[in-house]
Order: sequence, then C-alpha cells, then structure tokens
Amino acid sequence: MFERDDDTLTDVTARVAASLKKAVRLDPALDARVMAHVTALPVHRPVGSLGRVWSWLRRPRTLAVSPLAGLAAAAGIAAIVFVAARFGRTAVTPPAGDRTPVEFLLVAPRAASVMLVGDFNDWTASATPLHTAAAGGLWAVTVPLAPGRYRYAFVVDGKRWQPDPSAPPAPDDEFGSPSSVVTVGGTL
Amino acid sequence: MTALRTAALAAGLAGLLAARVAGQDPRLERLDPDTRIAVAVLVDSARASGLPAEALIDRALEGVAKQAPAPRIIAAVTTLFANLRDARAALGASATAPELEAGASAIHLGVSPAALTRLRVLRARQPLTIALSVMADLTARGVPADSAAAAVLALAGSLRDDQFLAFRRSVERDIELGTPAAAAASSSVRLGAGALTTDASTPGSPRPPRRP
Repeated sequence: MFERDDDTLTDVTARVAASLKKAVRLDPALDARVMAHVTALPVHRPVGSLGRVWSWLRRPRTLAVSPLAGLAAAAGIAAIVFVAARFGRTAVTPPAGDRTPVEFLLVAPRAASVMLVGDFNDWTASATPLHTAAAGGLWAVTVPLAPGRYRYAFVVDGKRWQPDPSAPPAPDDEFGSPSSVVTVGGTL
Repeated sequence: MTALRTAALAAGLAGLLAARVAGQDPRLERLDPDTRIAVAVLVDSARASGLPAEALIDRALEGVAKQAPAPRIIAAVTTLFANLRDARAALGASATAPELEAGASAIHLGVSPAALTRLRVLRARQPLTIALSVMADLTARGVPADSAAAAVLALAGSLRDDQFLAFRRSVERDIELGTPAAAAASSSVRLGAGALTTDASTPGSPRPPRRP
C-alpha cells in the first residue's frame, strides 16, 4: 500500500516537473491587450488637504473690485516698487586695499573752516572737512581713493570756492568756479 | 469687469511709472525737475551703451553744488557724454571707466582721438589712466594739445605711471619758472625717463599719502 502510493506520487511529481519544464508560449498580442485595459481604467488620485486647496485655487470665479480698491492696489504696488528700488540699492565700495590715501592740503590762514568737495563725495559740502594740521593756517585731510580721475575743489568758510593751487586744473570751468584734478593710478 | 479692467490698467501704469522714477539715481533729486529728466536720459543712454554713467552724475552734481544754471549743467553733461563716447571709440571696448574719463578730458581739451588710439597701441595691456591724465593735465596747463600728445606718445614705451607723474611735475615746474609751456614739455621729453625722480617707495614698504 505504501509502496504503491509512493510510486503514484513519484509519477505525478515527474509529470508535474515535466510540465513545468516546458517553455510557455504567450500570445504575442497579450502585452497590447493588457496595456489597453490598464489605460481604460479610471484614474484615482488621492485627494488630501493640499489637493483640495489646489482645486480651489484653480476653480475660475468672478472677482468684483471697485475702481477705488483697484487704485489703492495700484498705489500699494507702486509704493513697494519705489521703496525697494530706493532703499534696496547697495553701494558698491571697492575693497580698502584697492584705495590709495591721498592727502589734500590748503594754506588758508584766515579761514574758519575748509571743506573738500569733489567727485569722491558726491560734491557734498559737509562730507569732508579739513583740519588745521599746524600753525600758519595749513589745512589737511587724507582721503582713500580708488583708481580713477577725480575733480574737486575747496570751499572756504562755507561760501568761497577755491581750486587746489598745487594740483592740475580741471579741463574746464563751465560752472563758473574752477576745480582741480587728481588722478589715482592702478588697475580698476 | 470694466471696472476691474480699468483698475488693472491703472495698477500696471502706476507700477511702470514707479519703477521708472525709482530706478533713477536718488542723487539726481538735487537737480530741478527739468534738468533731472534731461540728465537722467543721458545717464540711461550711457548705461545702455556701456559708458561710465557715474561721471555724468558727478558732473551734474558739481554743477548743482556750484549753483550753475540748468542749461549750463545740461550742456556740460551732454558734452561729457559725447567726449566719453569718442574716447571709447578711440580706446576700444575694453577701456576701463577711469581710462574713458581721462580720455574724455584729453579730447575735450583738443587732443585728437587718433592720439588716444596710438597710445593704446603703444601701451597695450597696460592701464592708460595716468598717461591719458598727464596728456590732459599738460594741455590744461597751457601746453598745446598736439605737443602734449606728442610728448606722452614719445614716452609711452619707456615710462612707468609714477614716472609719467614725475614728468608732469617737471613740466609744471618749468612752466611756473617761466618756460613757455610747449618748450617745457619738449625739454622734459628730451631729458628722458632716467632724469625723472619719482616718489615711488620701496615695494612692500608702507606708502605715505600722496599729493594730487
């Protein structure tokens, strides 16, 4: 009984094994049929909170704005652009190592104040005061300058314009009072 | 929808106007409105064509500081713009802002653009700011433009920048002593580079402030 059952089992196993060893032949159109079926299936997307927000944002709707509100919005945009451009500008200052200290001197014994004005301080009269360096009315200030050519002049006692007598004159005095020129060499 | 469209149009126009006004250099607010517009146009043109716009702003600010009338400020800035453009044409597109400003000064004083081009050739790959400035400074001191250009060109191949400044001082000293300007320039050229004493310090040592 047991031997006969063993024989039967061995035979079945052998046939199953032989069947499994046979090469499987698939229908050549199977891939296309499967893909067509998949394509026809409905699309399921997970709808979370983000999806609902996106859907809300994309839904067209009519927005009613009064002309006054529109003008207010325009004024707001204009103010933002103006402030950003006005105060967002950063000055490009060359590194201190690229600047050459230049000493400006003027002998003005009777002067109460002497200011240096020029291209390097935007011609601002109060930006660069000279100091009395010694007795006898010698006024001096040292300014670090990047390579370039600068026009400048002195303003004595807040009203009298005077060129630097020890420096080359500016090419023209088209504004009525002459200026001087300083050139700082080097590469820029 | 018409109201909405009108508001959107107003917002766009206001934004454009604000951007235009805000893009202008705030220093130009020192000028009166008409002068400011004229100068801003020139500054924009300079920026668009790669010219040093800062020089134009500086010239306008100089005019304001000296309380010059508006037409004179506009004329000065316009002339400078033209001179900068001529200097760039003569020196080439690679010229730096200081080179263009010095070249514009030389041209303004009567130096020919051809002399600038010649200097560029003679001192290729070297900064020209000092040489061009000496050319302009000598002319401003009374040396005829042709003589000043010829002197600088004659020395262009042999002088360093500090020697060019010493050359200029030598000419100025001779002029102050009474030598006619043209003769002072030519005699300094004949002396040559060896006779020019400079205040250049030893490389690596601290440098004292220099004088203009």
